[in-house]
Amino acid sequence: MIEQIGAWRRRRVLTGMAAGTAVLAAPALLRAAPSGKPVKVGGTLSLTGFLAQTAGIHRIAAEIMVEEINSRNGFLGRPVEYVLLDDQSKPEMARSLYEKLITVDKVDLIQGPYATAPILAAMGVAQRYGKVMIQSSMGIPKLQTYDRAFPATPFGPEPDKTYPNVILDAMASIPTPPKTIVVLTSKFPSAQFMAKGMQKEAEARGVKVMLYLEYESGNHDFGAIAARVKEANPDFLWVGSLGLESNLLLEALRKLDYAPKNHFHLYPAPGPLALSPDGDRALCSTFLEPDEPFMSRPGMKRYAAEFKERATKANLPYTTIDAQACGMISEWQMLEAAVNGAVSLDDAKIATWLKTHKVDTVLGHLRFDGPYNHGDASQMIKQVQHKEWKVVWPKEFAAPGVKLIAS
Amino acid sequence: MAMKVARDLPRLVAALAVGAFALLPTAGLPAFYDSFLYLVLFWVSLATSWALLSGFAGYFSLGHAAFFGVGLYTTAVMATKFDVPFLLTLPAAAILPALLAVVIGAIVFRLRRLRGELFALLTLAVTFVIATIVLNTPIDGGGGIFMSAVPLPSLMPTPTGTFYLLAFVICVTTLAIAWKVSHSRLGMGLFAIHDDEDVAEAKGVPTFRYKLAAFALSAGIAGIVGGVHAMFVGFITVAGTFELTVPLYVVLMSVLGGSRSWFGPAVGAVVITTLLNSFNSGDQAMLGRAFVGFILIVAILWLPDGVVPAVRKWLKRRPTGAARAGAAVAPVVASTKPAGDRTLLEVRGATKRFGGLLALAGVDLDVREGEIVGLVGPNGSGKTTLINVISGHYPLSGGSIALDGRQISALPAHDIARRGVARTYQIPRPFMNMTALENVIAAATFGGPSRSPAEIREESLHWMAFTGLSGKEDMLPAGLNLHERKFLELARALATKPKLLLLDEVLSGLNPTEIDNAIRLVRAIRAQGATIVFVEHLMRAVVELSDRVAVLNEGKLFALGAPHEVMRDPGVVSIYLGKAYAA
Repeated sequence: MIEQIGAWRRRRVLTGMAAGTAVLAAPALLRAAPSGKPVKVGGTLSLTGFLAQTAGIHRIAAEIMVEEINSRNGFLGRPVEYVLLDDQSKPEMARSLYEKLITVDKVDLIQGPYATAPILAAMGVAQRYGKVMIQSSMGIPKLQTYDRAFPATPFGPEPDKTYPNVILDAMASIPTPPKTIVVLTSKFPSAQFMAKGMQKEAEARGVKVMLYLEYESGNHDFGAIAARVKEANPDFLWVGSLGLESNLLLEALRKLDYAPKNHFHLYPAPGPLALSPDGDRALCSTFLEPDEPFMSRPGMKRYAAEFKERATKANLPYTTIDAQACGMISEWQMLEAAVNGAVSLDDAKIATWLKTHKVDTVLGHLRFDGPYNHGDASQMIKQVQHKEWKVVWPKEFAAPGVKLIAS
Repeated sequence: MAMKVARDLPRLVAALAVGAFALLPTAGLPAFYDSFLYLVLFWVSLATSWALLSGFAGYFSLGHAAFFGVGLYTTAVMATKFDVPFLLTLPAAAILPALLAVVIGAIVFRLRRLRGELFALLTLAVTFVIATIVLNTPIDGGGGIFMSAVPLPSLMPTPTGTFYLLAFVICVTTLAIAWKVSHSRLGMGLFAIHDDEDVAEAKGVPTFRYKLAAFALSAGIAGIVGGVHAMFVGFITVAGTFELTVPLYVVLMSVLGGSRSWFGPAVGAVVITTLLNSFNSGDQAMLGRAFVGFILIVAILWLPDGVVPAVRKWLKRRPTGAARAGAAVAPVVASTKPAGDRTLLEVRGATKRFGGLLALAGVDLDVREGEIVGLVGPNGSGKTTLINVISGHYPLSGGSIALDGRQISALPAHDIARRGVARTYQIPRPFMNMTALENVIAAATFGGPSRSPAEIREESLHWMAFTGLSGKEDMLPAGLNLHERKFLELARALATKPKLLLLDEVLSGLNPTEIDNAIRLVRAIRAQGATIVFVEHLMRAVVELSDRVAVLNEGKLFALGAPHEVMRDPGVVSIYLGKAYAA
């Protein structure tokens, strides 16, 4: 009996040890280095040309993701090889190079380029070959008419309607909500698109639009525009700016001894505006900042640390991870999830899977079953506080202890 | 029969090659090659079209993006806003920019000061103006134009193949136009304009009309290229269209290949586009661009005239096996008509003002047919100005000039040249990029009576021989000495078979032996029955050559008569030597 009990115990122990070993060993086995013929994922970035500054960010983010995916299981057990080409910031080059990626390099999958014009040029190629194309930087969702093109950023299908209301909601929450607004915008397609939405939504909510003004993209002389803003003296200034335009406008306003009461900037150069003496309390659009609650999202701390290290090594001017970099991370997270979900590299199956599933990304839970394959909008507002950008709206995404400060 | 086959064979091969290239998309190659070749053909067409005006005529334009952009937006607007089928938009995409160029040219080309860098800046400004108009009107309005809904006709099995075919047709047509122009009267005129526009006009080149034609052709081609590119790119924005890349690239391509050659810009475009596409991998992007830049700098430094002219020059240096046969000199029948009483040139009250300066103050002068009139006077007396107003280089401020009884004072210089007035310059002004023979042929083509190219060539060779320039036909003017350049001026003038020859200090700067040669030459010219007005300071030559001498002083005709009488006139002596000395 004792022997029987002993034998039983030994069997149990051995079985348990074997099972325990198997359980412990399983993740290691699953994490075994992918092998076999690499899965080629092709894409272009504007590594040279006028958009080159952003490409450095995207490239680092993509490389982080490819390494991470390969450190797991690659795509279906095969290593991922990122075939990156330089589209020189030109849509015609983007178009030609996607032809190359698909017909010469014979990539299995593609990732989208950066900026609306190259994306649309590449989208035509992707459509002809039935390739899934995920992109993170097209600001006008309605132009994404290809049913296998997917956004990696939560713009929502109608950001010209949804985002103005996020801004107006935030403004309505301050002690003295604005009753008047001035809308200025660069004549850049995505900025102009949002500005027209802002004008319309403001009027719909009873905020008087005192001035709607468009200026040429890349304008350097804001003296006359600043004079008109000062004359209008709105409660809220909305600027559809790109790059350094906001800095130049605020400087021109300062020269007129005028500080706008509350001011929002659409796509400014984040660093220069945050560090500018005129940039204090400036508001801006975002999907994510390197604070809580975003840093608690899966992998985010690791991505941030990795990004900082690589960006420093690459001599990038801003080494902190931001929404741009996270857009690219989100692209790869979507692709990985879709390949694994569909258990296939077939574009049709991947597209079908994306349309019917949600994907957890650093930019939140994304779905793609709405118009133009867009899901819920998740735009947020950040504000310069003590020379740093902090998410201030919606409140649940505000950094701990941070509140929207009204001027 | 065999000869005919041998003659036609290259054409047949060329036609077959063109046909084969046109059908490349049906060869089953990966679509990328269609796409890449589209970009190559795109740049070949753009660079070649730029060279039609800027390379051939030397009017350096930085505004090619304007015409490219107008064509691009013409197609985009017609196709998206008016539902015009894509292919039907293309003629309009060519015509509108061409018309725009004509309008701009009609204003700009009338102003002599708008040459060189001013023209470049003006065309650049035109680009900005057009971009501003497009951006601030419903043409674009800032939102861009998305072309995805515009159907692309299926001319080839794939859309990329269709783009390739369209680009190929435009490219072949553009190259054919460039070849035709460069081998035509128009091209010769444009090359002359490039080298010296004032001289070209004085030699009979209708410079204004030719520049307009080149500008319209250049803009029209850029426009249709833009029209096709609108569909290729798919999403049109003002910033992406009217950017500096287009003018900078076409300039670089043309300069690299050789902008005066019909084929040079194409070579430059192929080289640069291929290089730029050879370094597009993510790892080499920056390094590749730097390498391309380095190659271009080296090529431009070592081959300042471009690759094609350098290769041509190198080929010419190679021994051809047989020495160039001496050109047959056509006999020119000398006119035996003596100086008669018929008045060929009538100058009445010729007045020319330059601001407050009165250079000619009512000069009256008759020149009889077959006569040699020496025009003398101290510096600043108005001699060269009189030559300039007779030849049309300067418009008259007052008075009139008639040739053969017909008023010519209101005519442009090229028209006066065509009516039989030829001139030389005190400091020779040959077309520096043309050989000596080409210089003479150009003058004969535009200034003389209508003749076949073969006749013009034969007569040009004759006049080169007549002026002692045999054997120098293929030399560039830079290789000739002053004496030879002066005689080249004469050969150019004589080749036009002028009724009236205006010689401006043809003897200045020559040594005594060369002067004797020149005097003999002018006598020989006179023996041909030419009517000559010549400005000269060398009194020995004036006395020896002139039938009559006209003395100008302070813009007025001071004396006119037989050489020996005039030269003994105390008034004339005092003008030359000063009153105190004369007294």
